[in-house]
Amino acid sequence: MTNSPASQPIVEFVDVVKRFGDFEAVKGIDLEIMPGEFIAIMGSSGCGKTTTLRMLAGLEAPTEGEIRLDGQVMNDVKPHDRDTPMVWQSLALFPFLNVRENVEFGLKMRGVGPDERKDRAMRWLERMEIEQFAERSVDQLSGGQRQRVALARALVTEPKVLLLDEPLSALDAHLVIRMQQVLTKLQRDLGITFVYVTHSQSEAFAMADRVVIMGDGKIAQVGKPRDIYRAPANRFVAEFVGRNNILTGTVTELAGSTVAIATPAGTFTVSAEGAALPAVGATASFVIAADLVHFSPDPMAEENSVECSLISEEFVGSVMTLFLESKDGTEFKVQTQERVLANIDLKATGRFHLGWSAASAHLLGE
Amino acid sequence: MSGRDALTTWVLRFYVVLVFGFIFMPIVASVIFSFNSQRFPTVPLGSFTTEWYTAILNDPDIWEAARTSILVSLSTSVLATFIGFCTAYTDYRFKFRYKYGFLALALLPPTIPLIIMALAMLAWFAKIGISGQVWSIIAAHTVLTIPFAMAIIRLRLNEMDESLEAAAWNLGASEWRAVKEVIIPFAKPAIISSMCLTAAVSFDEFAVAWFVSGLNKTIPVVILEIVTGNIDPQVNAIGSFVFLVSMTLVVLAQILFMTKGKRRTVTP
Amino acid sequence: MGTKETEKKKRGFETFAVVWRVPLIAWQTVFFLGPLLFMVAMSFFVVKNYRMREAFEFVSWAKMLGRHTFWDAYGYTLLLAVCSTVIVSLIAFPAAYALAFKTSATVRRWAIFLLVVPFFTSYLVRIFSWYVVLAESGPVNSVLGFFGLGPFTMLNTMFGTMVGYATLTLPLVVILQTVSLANIDNRFIEAAHNLGCGAFRTIHAVIVPMAKTGLVIAALFCFILSFGDFVSPYYLGGSKPPTLAILIIDTTKSGQQWPRAAVVAVMMMLTLFTVAFSSIWYAYRKRGSR
Repeated sequence: MTNSPASQPIVEFVDVVKRFGDFEAVKGIDLEIMPGEFIAIMGSSGCGKTTTLRMLAGLEAPTEGEIRLDGQVMNDVKPHDRDTPMVWQSLALFPFLNVRENVEFGLKMRGVGPDERKDRAMRWLERMEIEQFAERSVDQLSGGQRQRVALARALVTEPKVLLLDEPLSALDAHLVIRMQQVLTKLQRDLGITFVYVTHSQSEAFAMADRVVIMGDGKIAQVGKPRDIYRAPANRFVAEFVGRNNILTGTVTELAGSTVAIATPAGTFTVSAEGAALPAVGATASFVIAADLVHFSPDPMAEENSVECSLISEEFVGSVMTLFLESKDGTEFKVQTQERVLANIDLKATGRFHLGWSAASAHLLGE
Repeated sequence: MSGRDALTTWVLRFYVVLVFGFIFMPIVASVIFSFNSQRFPTVPLGSFTTEWYTAILNDPDIWEAARTSILVSLSTSVLATFIGFCTAYTDYRFKFRYKYGFLALALLPPTIPLIIMALAMLAWFAKIGISGQVWSIIAAHTVLTIPFAMAIIRLRLNEMDESLEAAAWNLGASEWRAVKEVIIPFAKPAIISSMCLTAAVSFDEFAVAWFVSGLNKTIPVVILEIVTGNIDPQVNAIGSFVFLVSMTLVVLAQILFMTKGKRRTVTP
Repeated sequence: MGTKETEKKKRGFETFAVVWRVPLIAWQTVFFLGPLLFMVAMSFFVVKNYRMREAFEFVSWAKMLGRHTFWDAYGYTLLLAVCSTVIVSLIAFPAAYALAFKTSATVRRWAIFLLVVPFFTSYLVRIFSWYVVLAESGPVNSVLGFFGLGPFTMLNTMFGTMVGYATLTLPLVVILQTVSLANIDNRFIEAAHNLGCGAFRTIHAVIVPMAKTGLVIAALFCFILSFGDFVSPYYLGGSKPPTLAILIIDTTKSGQQWPRAAVVAVMMMLTLFTVAFSSIWYAYRKRGSR
């Protein structure tokens, strides 16, 4: 990413390492987050994503490296001297305060007087459409309402950066979609930076401008959701993202930027546009997104094709995922609209030909 | 078979009632005797009287002792609860070397017989020159009640969502401010419970108070001195009064701890 | 650079952390450790002309340990405490068993609350109450008299002492036993029944071994409380012979012989430590692998 002088990164991680005793939770990460960005840090549990967020909030001190906020080194700054409010996984609403007092908390700590505190808190409650609950106890609210209180409480001090630690993980599925819309709209309207930690791919991909994929304490890839999905940087990301066919084989031929790779399921051509070309004889992996594979009526006309038999099918909304197997036992996934399959008789035909273009396959770095 | 099981169950339940009967018998008997006209109570009981209560109400020594007892138990409850809170918070929040030693310092006193504590404190207070004062009883009772205060408050902190304190820092509260704004409000029911219970324990303690009190006798010390002399039903009257005070404190503590305890933190 | 900053931050945090430890450490050092250590030291002091002088001599030790009265008291106190531990544990067990397995959780909670109550009420008054109830012409004997029984002498006997000890320790022992029994997974007991174990066999082979730690701890508390109590053996037991606790009182209250009382106290503490450590070792020892 290039830095234009007009937009300095608001958050910078420079070679940050965090060790707890002998355990290295974060193993040297570099990351720049621009003002107004919605960044999602995604990974499975124990990958270091929450530790990364907690370091940004000052709840953990980095063992090595530097964390900068708005250009200033923050390593030594205590949590209460930072302007990085957080929405917690448990929400961490204060049970002994009512809704309005919860929202006022940050202002009270900053020495704002009672009247102004109340005004500002009420404005945020109105914005979150929960002003009618202002004097209620927090445990009289529903999950979604509590979520809004937590957001209002964190945003009332008008921070430049908002941290969110899996805030939707406790909600029902239908509320999650609703809250995703609320969050996205809020972030657009406020224009502030959201740093959103989650293990859920759908949340990250639905909301974030850029997604950071973490694994084993390291950043595996940073990019726009589409780029990560279409062009995973390595095998870890490709597997993490799912809905991909990953094939590994030996490079047999290089022709321009197209590479031929011999796999147990057959030899396929892969476009290596923009990637480093592997040597002939080297082992290489590539992915084809499941929705870029199609059923081919004429295998001879395809750049790549393979003969498969159907194992099972999965039907979600109008999208169908088919699980197939080639003769040598390699698994293939095909994702397609239900109507596309309308004129293919899945039951009658025992064998299908799958096809895809060399350009839709993506060579993986290791 | 099931018939025999049911029989066993009922026999066991009856047994439980007997055990509770044994435990509460002396308390109930004492209250009954305090309204009984006989000097040496027996069955059938004598007539109803309040003469024993009148007697103690007119006894200036009893009033003096009551004043001392109230001063001692109030001071003890404040001191023990304050120290217990600091200790419970330390245990909740921090890991450090010699933590087991630190906790032992808080929790050991109840395992040492009161009579030994009494002798040790008597000698020690004489040595450092504060013997025979109300403050010596308070100091001793605080040692004995810190474990209760600490345990009650520690249990309450266990129920707290760990993120609550961090959320306060995150919203701009310093560590001190977070204790004031979050930890204390959250622990408040336990703090009040702790004050009630430590006051009740102090109000009933006689062995240590007897040794270190000097002329500042507390109510239990007066009871001890009366019963050493002879059978005097006044003791039942004082005892019933003491039960009333203790029970009020204990029930109050229990109600506070139970009702507020139900208002749990927001957890998914 | 990074490490230095971390150091500084850690120190900042430590001031806050240490402040919370100070009240307990200060208070318990001055008013708990101080007295106990001083008492140990005092056992080596000497008393001349009714005045105590700080010294390091074994006069009091020799005097006390060389006497029959001390060893009689020691043996009798130990006997009483052991009897109390065994009797109270046995009385408590069926009640704890019933509370743990034959009642609902709500009843159990209330029962435990009720059992906590006596702990905060005057032990002295309860003992005085027993003193009246168990008297030669007291209510118990007059009720028994209706059936042509008695009168029985219950005061100034070991029976009286045991009633007193039970008053002191039974609630606590029932609570501790109930909690440890209630923690046993019911499935183990059902499994034992399914394998054809009768009720007593189940108790013997499954329940007692599984609740061992809790049962031993309950017994230990009973022992500690009985061993150190002076009220029951004095008022209900008649103090003949005196127990160690009564010996401490007599020695202290009559004639400034504090060092001798300290010797008795130190001996009591040593005994209690020995019993406590061996029973805790026994309670937490791994059961033989079979």
